[in-house]
Amino acid sequence: MADKFVRFEAVHKVFNGKTVIGEVNLAAEAGEVVALCGGNGAGKSTLLRMLAGIIRPTSGQITIGGLRWENDRRRYARQLGYMPDDYRFSAGLTALETMLFWARLRGLGEARAREVLELVGLSDTGRKPVTSFSKGMRQRVLFAQALLAKPPLIVMDEPTNGLDPYWMGSFVQLVRQAAAGGQTILFSTHQLQIAEALADRIVFLRDGHVVLDGTKSEIREKYGASGLQEAYGSIFGLPTAGL
Amino acid sequence: MRDIANVAVREMRMGFRNPWAYTFMALFTLFMFSLLVINAQDYVTGYSGASSTMLNLGLYLLPLMALMLGSFSLTGEKEDGNWELLTTYPLGTLSFLSGKYLGLAVVLLVIVAFGFGLSGAVGWLTGGGLEPVTYWHLLVFAICVSLFFLGAAMLIGTMARNRWQALTASVAVWFFLIIAWPSVLIAVLGMLPYPWIKPAVTVLTFLNPAELTRLYTIVQLGGGATLGPEYYEWVGWIRSVWGPPVFWAIMLIWVSIAIMISYLVWERGRGRG
Repeated sequence: MADKFVRFEAVHKVFNGKTVIGEVNLAAEAGEVVALCGGNGAGKSTLLRMLAGIIRPTSGQITIGGLRWENDRRRYARQLGYMPDDYRFSAGLTALETMLFWARLRGLGEARAREVLELVGLSDTGRKPVTSFSKGMRQRVLFAQALLAKPPLIVMDEPTNGLDPYWMGSFVQLVRQAAAGGQTILFSTHQLQIAEALADRIVFLRDGHVVLDGTKSEIREKYGASGLQEAYGSIFGLPTAGL
Repeated sequence: MRDIANVAVREMRMGFRNPWAYTFMALFTLFMFSLLVINAQDYVTGYSGASSTMLNLGLYLLPLMALMLGSFSLTGEKEDGNWELLTTYPLGTLSFLSGKYLGLAVVLLVIVAFGFGLSGAVGWLTGGGLEPVTYWHLLVFAICVSLFFLGAAMLIGTMARNRWQALTASVAVWFFLIIAWPSVLIAVLGMLPYPWIKPAVTVLTFLNPAELTRLYTIVQLGGGATLGPEYYEWVGWIRSVWGPPVFWAIMLIWVSIAIMISYLVWERGRGRG
């Protein structure tokens, strides 16, 4: 695992006496796209929030490019862009003002803020406050801020929630471009078709434990299933129809 | 410094687009006009019944405004998930809190300046305005009370988990420091041996920014004689040439301590996750 860009080593998290993440060992290479899948409460968001530096593991360690949050927070934060799942935008600010605030915190200027808004098709929203945007538009603003500094790692929690089919396609394309450019991407999703379309590797989580970690072909080979949904059903003992 | 300025600018933008700020501005302006009416019956020079009423009324409104705007702003960051997102940025906690304080201070001071400016202009045009020195001292009083209580608001916003808790705590702090203070002070002093009374008055006055600013303004307006023997030394230092710089230094220390305690609590939360 020494050459891996992102590493979770024996990561364990306890909240109020309850273990939410068992001992997780996980790694991702530079330029790899990893999808975290699993049901509600499986621990996907907790893992991503620990990786983003929002919460600390109870034990174990997480590194990005060899850096630990505990040793140098600022440098660690410069390694990643994070897209949260649950976020309410500040009232009264436009998309450009919001993006400009984030861009300046990354030492970037207005040109880059406009550029990422253009990337997600929100360059012409004018004086309209972000709070009046649809869920899908707000998701695109959040995705754009994760891309701002072209960080080596992009962490996204349920990034496709609320996206319409057109923007879902654009999102897949943008993520592929980022990975082709050497950026590592870790994201959580409930939508297996998105995991299948995007990820090089898929990690299934259940009750805070990794129950399966492999490429799509490895998963198919191991479970003899014709697709990811079949494998999901087989792992979780669920009927596959409608997943 | 660049991060502090960035956070402060965002805070000002949000503040000036927040309907609450305009509600407070309208309320404060209305309040200033009512003081103008009070003053019209008794042209104020220095400390008088009218300027005392103005001070006390200012003490009711301004701290509540500062406490609510400040604490809601901080709890909003937590409730909306913005603080969580910002922890993934290379932004220091102290820069964040200092930027919030500065941005909110500008919003509050604009509200105060607008109220004073408009009522001052109307008073001057109608001939019923305050004497300039008295007007100046009242303006300084309003600025100081706002800045002090904004510091307290940072503490409340730090401790409260959501806006409801912040509202409850703000009203409680306001009630205790503004409404109940004289009675509590008398009750506490009544329980102490006589030699302890003067030092206790000093310590308790430093702990209550509203009382500290009120005393300072009363003495500056020439009303020190009304304060009683326990405050003779206060009158001495406030009237001296060192009075204003010492007072401003106390305010700076008070606000810095409030921000530093807030910083330690936010950092503790960040470190523990």
